[in-house]
Amino acid sequence: MPLASIVVPAFNVSATVAETLDALLAQTFTNVEIIVVDDGSTDMTSDILDAYASDPRIRIIRQRNRGLAGARNTGIHAAKGFAIGFCDADDIWEPSKLECHIEHLLNKPDVGVSFSGSALIDDNGADLGLAQRPRLRRITAAHILKRNPIGNGSAAVIRREVFHDIAYRPSSERVRNWYFDETFRQSEDIECWLRIALTTDWAIEGVEGLLTRYRINSGGLSAATDDQLASWERMLEKLTALRPAFFARHSRAARAYQLRYLARRAISDHDADRAMEMVKASFGQSTRPLIEEPSKTLTTLGAALLLRFGGQEALRVLMRERGA
Amino acid sequence: MRHKPVILHLVDDTTAGGVMRVIECICGSNVLANSGTHRVHRVTRGRFMILPDWADIIVSHTTISWRSLPALIALRASHPKTPLIHVEHSYTAAFVSHNVTHNGRFSSLLKAAFSLFDRVVAVSHAQANWMTSRKLVSAQRLTTIQSCVDLTPFHAINPAAGPIKTFGAIGRLDQQKGFDMLINAFKALPDPSLRLKIFGTGPEEQALRETAAGDGRIEFMGFCTDPSLPFKDVDAVVMPSRWEAFGLVAIEARAAGRRLLCSRVDGLMDHASLGTDYFNTYTKTHLAAAMSRLAKQSNGISIPNGGINQLAVFQESWNNLISEFADRAKKASPAFLAKPPHGQRRADG
Repeated sequence: MPLASIVVPAFNVSATVAETLDALLAQTFTNVEIIVVDDGSTDMTSDILDAYASDPRIRIIRQRNRGLAGARNTGIHAAKGFAIGFCDADDIWEPSKLECHIEHLLNKPDVGVSFSGSALIDDNGADLGLAQRPRLRRITAAHILKRNPIGNGSAAVIRREVFHDIAYRPSSERVRNWYFDETFRQSEDIECWLRIALTTDWAIEGVEGLLTRYRINSGGLSAATDDQLASWERMLEKLTALRPAFFARHSRAARAYQLRYLARRAISDHDADRAMEMVKASFGQSTRPLIEEPSKTLTTLGAALLLRFGGQEALRVLMRERGA
Repeated sequence: MRHKPVILHLVDDTTAGGVMRVIECICGSNVLANSGTHRVHRVTRGRFMILPDWADIIVSHTTISWRSLPALIALRASHPKTPLIHVEHSYTAAFVSHNVTHNGRFSSLLKAAFSLFDRVVAVSHAQANWMTSRKLVSAQRLTTIQSCVDLTPFHAINPAAGPIKTFGAIGRLDQQKGFDMLINAFKALPDPSLRLKIFGTGPEEQALRETAAGDGRIEFMGFCTDPSLPFKDVDAVVMPSRWEAFGLVAIEARAAGRRLLCSRVDGLMDHASLGTDYFNTYTKTHLAAAMSRLAKQSNGISIPNGGINQLAVFQESWNNLISEFADRAKKASPAFLAKPPHGQRRADG
């Protein structure tokens, strides 16, 4: 049984990290090292981690704050397993998750990134009844750019060789390689997945099941949408040189999907003006989302219109009736 | 007297110029002539059923594709006892990433094609690692021989001394070589005394000229029939390839005493031991930063001609490979010892 590593970036997560680590320690695949990177937490996170330090499966690394990408890179650098999984310190892995991905990677030597769908939970860990059920097979770079089937930062288990293939070291970095780009504070996931898809031949493939419980924080969802859009555009600009023709072909449709996603976040936050603005901008970029995913696109449009003209109450009533 | 084995090198009509130079390096080598007689045989891609029957060992330098697979199967079937070797000049991890939509289907093709050969030769360590890690071929049936050409004319060039002012881009002008990004990166460098000279022709030439338009420091030099000439004209060589099985220009640049700046991709990583510089991620900004760093660092420093032993290693590796299979061919064919070169049809043929 080969060794697998799980990297847990932890920054001010005192409310959730214990639950996350307990779920990782309860994995059915047991030859595991759990590397918790305390990324300069200023709350009680360190004290909670101390309680886990005696477990031989857990390693705690403390560093000054470098952000999510920087914490993951430190974890990857320290990891010894043949595969490295990622679990953010507020998400929960189902007990069989690691086992499913390890089996997948062992059976399919061409797969470099193994991921799964996720069930969404709220701040209190309660099931929201919503799920990310992405496409699992024959995933191309275009799928990642447009729909990011990997979905969230706690969904993937990645063969170590993949990181070897994408490693680099900026001239300012003296200690270790970079895998995730630490100059990004958002869109760092998709930048890395896309770089894997565009520069390596590793297959990216999903396994069945909702194996991650992914926490959606309530409130403030749409607050940072400008930043999010800006970093997404920066990601696009950064990677365009790799394959100009690919981006010329797909970036408008991808931007439309990105704007639709931001519209949905604005709707969840009941920010009617923002939602309408994002929906309009999305349609302005491309009608591909309407053709490729008519139901979801029309629902987004309908919800934004309802919120705009009917108000929060109308949307709430309708959503309750739909059971969503 | 022991007869020297005859080795037939199959080359298809799409074979690139660089590959032909490597094969000429094998066939024209006195060292290799001691262990065998090397002959080149041109074939039409996907159709090479009728081959001269005097070969003791067949080495394919052809491009594997679904269209050529039946011909490779026929080759194996019609030469069941002849050792067959395939040199993989084209495919790499980054090639697949850039050009292949159905990854699984493509690895099936490579696995099937490689399985027809007694040995597969990777042209770089990076390519070999890729082949074994993706289980395209087992490590036992894989030999790595880094490509080489006669480097004498490159060693004869005076090494670059003093500041780097002229960057060179040498190769076919197509998307693979990444010269589009190089031009964009170069345009971002403000120093008016810098130059970029681009040697070669190809399908992207017009687009590249348009990208370069307006920057008088960039010059298109056309194709040089003498591959060593471009190096005399430049202080450093940039290889921003999107994929590259080995990259002959890299060893030529180092042999000519030119600094070398490469993308971190495939076989270009093999040249790290030659003192190659790499730019980090594949972006205009990182390439431009690396070029300006190179120009600053190298003020007044002369760069020695590098890579003296490469040809010897290349020849020895081929000699070993040929000897290994010549022994097998001998065992397989009792007529081997008695047969004159270019002799009659073999008894077991």
